[in-house]
Amino acid sequence: MSKKIILLMIFMLFANSAPAKEEWKRAFEEEYLKILPVGEPEKVSVCIDCHKSEIMRPELRKIPSEWRQSWHAENNISCHDCHGGDPEDEKMAMTPERGFVGKPSHAQIPEFCGRCHKGILEHYLKSGHGIALRKTGHAPTCVTCHGSHGIKKASIDIINEDLCTRCHSYERAKTMKLALSVVETKIKDTEDALKELRREGIVIERDEKEFFRIHAEFRALFHTTDVNLVKDRTDEFTRRLKDLDSRLSAYFKELNFRRNYSVFFMLLFAGMGGAIYFIYKENKGK
Amino acid sequence: MKLMDYIDERLGLTSLIRSQFIDYKVPKEINIFYTLGFIALAGFMIQAITGLFLLFYYVPHPDHAFSSVQRIMNDIPYGWLFRQVHVVGSNLMVAVVFLHLFSVFFMGSYKKPREFHWLVGAIMLFFILTFCLSGYLLPWSQLSYWATTVVANLPTGFPYIGDIIADTLRGGKSVTGLTLNRFFGLHVALLPCLMSVLIAIHIFLIRRTGISIPPWYERLEHTPPSGYRHATYPEGQPFYLFMLKELSMVMFYIAMIFFVIAFLPTLFLPEDTLVEANPSRTPEHIRPEWYFLAPYQMLKLIPSKFLGIALQLILLLVFFFWPFIDRSPERNILKRPKLLTVFIVTTFLWIILTITGGR
Amino acid sequence: MKRRGFLLSLISLFGLSALSSFVYSAFRYLLPTSEVSGGGIQRIKKDEIPSGRSKDIVLNNIPVIVINIPQKGYVAYSKVCTHLGCIVQFDPEKRVFICPCHAGTFDINGNVISGPPPRPLTKIPLRIEGEEIIIG
Repeated sequence: MSKKIILLMIFMLFANSAPAKEEWKRAFEEEYLKILPVGEPEKVSVCIDCHKSEIMRPELRKIPSEWRQSWHAENNISCHDCHGGDPEDEKMAMTPERGFVGKPSHAQIPEFCGRCHKGILEHYLKSGHGIALRKTGHAPTCVTCHGSHGIKKASIDIINEDLCTRCHSYERAKTMKLALSVVETKIKDTEDALKELRREGIVIERDEKEFFRIHAEFRALFHTTDVNLVKDRTDEFTRRLKDLDSRLSAYFKELNFRRNYSVFFMLLFAGMGGAIYFIYKENKGK
Repeated sequence: MKLMDYIDERLGLTSLIRSQFIDYKVPKEINIFYTLGFIALAGFMIQAITGLFLLFYYVPHPDHAFSSVQRIMNDIPYGWLFRQVHVVGSNLMVAVVFLHLFSVFFMGSYKKPREFHWLVGAIMLFFILTFCLSGYLLPWSQLSYWATTVVANLPTGFPYIGDIIADTLRGGKSVTGLTLNRFFGLHVALLPCLMSVLIAIHIFLIRRTGISIPPWYERLEHTPPSGYRHATYPEGQPFYLFMLKELSMVMFYIAMIFFVIAFLPTLFLPEDTLVEANPSRTPEHIRPEWYFLAPYQMLKLIPSKFLGIALQLILLLVFFFWPFIDRSPERNILKRPKLLTVFIVTTFLWIILTITGGR
Repeated sequence: MKRRGFLLSLISLFGLSALSSFVYSAFRYLLPTSEVSGGGIQRIKKDEIPSGRSKDIVLNNIPVIVINIPQKGYVAYSKVCTHLGCIVQFDPEKRVFICPCHAGTFDINGNVISGPPPRPLTKIPLRIEGEEIIIG
C-alpha cells in the first residue's frame, strides 16, 4: 500500500510540472551550466540596449533585430566593429575618443566596409560603379546590393532585374549573372560535398580553406563589374574547383570503403550467428 | 592427443572441462533472455580490446586529446574501425545491460536465494555508467566537455558535502586537464580492475546458487527451504549447448555493431563531437548520452535542486536494495498485478523521460 | 550429419575470414607506415632574394613566401590565412601581411596583430646549404 502511495506522489510531480517546464528549464540550465571562473562572461552591448529601447527613434529601433539576422551577427561582428565606439561604456559609447565614426555618407560607404573587406574594395574602385561614385556621387555602393544591417551571406540572386534596373538596363548584369552561374553551381555542389564530409568526421580543414579561397576570389572578381574578365577567368576557376573535387572524391571513396568493410563484417557475423544457432537447435533436439 | 595427455596428467583439464561444461546441466526451460548476461560480458570484452587498441594512439592531455582522436579516425589505418566499434559497442552494451536488468526483474530472478546477484549486478550497472561517463570526456570535444560539466555539477545539490564531492570528481572548480587525467585513470585502470572482480563474483554467485528458471513453469525449482541448496537440473541440457546459443547471440550482437557502423555511422557521434572543447563557449544543445536522459529530465522537472538529487538517490537506493524490499516468495510477476503495474508504469515513465529529455 | 558438416565448414569459413580481416587491420593499425604528406621541397639560390626582399613560390600546391629579413635571415611562411583560407599579401614597407578578405593582419614573425585569424601563419621549414635555400 505504501509503495502505491510513493508511486502516486512521483507521478503527480511529473503531471504538475508541464506548465512550469520552460521556466524550470531555464533555471535548471542556469544552475547546472553555470560557467565557473573559466569562461568569458556574456558580452555586453550598450549599443543594442539603447537602440532597442522605447526612447529610440522608430527607424533606428529596428536595427538590432535586423542585425541579429545577419551573417555578421553569426560571426560575432557587432556594432562597434564597424561604427567604432565603446560597447561597454554608456557614456563613451558614441565618442570619437573611442573611435566612433557614426553613419557613413553614401560616398563614404565603400571605404567604411572596405576597412575589413579590403580585397573587394580594390576591385570595386576599379569598377564602373566605383568610378561613377567618385565622378558623380551617384552609384551603387555596398549597401545598395547587400543592405546595411541585415546583411545575408552573398548569393548570386543579389543580381536581379529589380535591383539593377533602378539605374540602367539589365543587359550587362544579365550577362554577368550568366557568366557567374556556371561556376556558382559548381561552388554549391562542392560546398555540399564539404559539408557531408565534415559531418562524417573527415578532417578537411585544408580543403575547406582552399574552397573558401576559390570562392572568395571568384566573388571578389565580380565586384569589378567587368564581364569579360569574369568570362576569361571562369575556366581557371572551374579547373581549380575540379581539382579540389577530385581530392574530395578520394575522401568519399574512403567513406565507401569503410561502409563496405563494415557490411562485410556484419554479414560474416550474422552468418556465423545463424549457423551456430542451427547447430544449437539440432543438438538440443537430440 | 599427446599434448592433451601431457596437460591432463598435470592439471586434469579434460575432466574439469567435462564437469563444468558437459555434466553441468542447465534447465531446458531457460529462454533467450538468459543469454543477455553473456552478451553483456562479450560486449565488455569487446570494449576492453578495442579500448586497448585505442590506448596505443590516444593522448590523455587536453592539448592533444582531440587531435589524437582525429588522427585515429583519419590518419591511422583502420583507426576508424577500432574507434567506431568502441563507440557503438559501448552504447549497445548499455542497451544489453538494461535489457538484462529488465528481464531479471520481470522474471523475479532476484529473489531468494539470489539477492546478492542483484546487488552485485546493481553495482556493476553503476560501474558501467561510470565507465561511460569517464570515457565520454576523453575525446575532449565540445560535447565531452560540457556534458561532463553538467554531470560533475550534480553533486553540488547536496548541502556541505556536495561541493567537496564535485571538486574531487573534477580535480578543481571546473573541468580541466586534471579532470581529464583522473577520468582517464578511472576509465583504463581502476574501473576495469573493479569490474573484472565484480564479474568474477557475479558468475561465481550464479554457479554457486544454480541458475533460475522462468517462474511460469509449473515446477518450481524448489521452494526455498532453510539452508543452502544448490539448484540442479539432471534432465536439463548440458551447459556447452546453452553456450552455443549464447555464442550465436553474441555473433548477432557483433553483427548489430557493424550494422550501425555501416549504415548509421553518425548515430552516436553528434556534431558537437567534431569540435574541440572550448571552455568559453557553451554549445546550444547540451544533453547527456541517452542512458542518462531519464535522470536528467527528472532533474529538470523537479523545482528544487536538492529535492531533485535527493529523489534520485532515494530511487537509487530502492533500486539497489530491491530484493530486500520485495520479499514475497511469489516469483511470477504475472500473478502479482500490483508489482506488474508498478513495473509497466516505471518502464513507461523511463521511456517517456528519455524521449523528452532528448528535446 | 551432412548438414552439420556444412554448417561447421560455413562457420569456419566465416570465422576465419573475420579473424584474418581483423588481424590484418590490427597489424596495419599497429604498424602504420609513416606517410610524409606533401614531401616536396624546393631549392632557391640565395642571391635570388636580396636582403629586405621576398619571393613567392608554390610548394605542394600551397602558396609560400620566402622572405630575407635584414639582420635576421631567411624565413618561409604559408600564405594561407589561418582564418578562412584567403591568400595574404605581404607589404614590404610596413613589414606586415594583410589578408584581403577580412583584413586579418600578421607581423613579420607571422603572429596575428589584428583581425579574425585565430593562429599565426604556418612556418615552413627551411634550411641553408651553401648558396642554396631549401624549403620544405
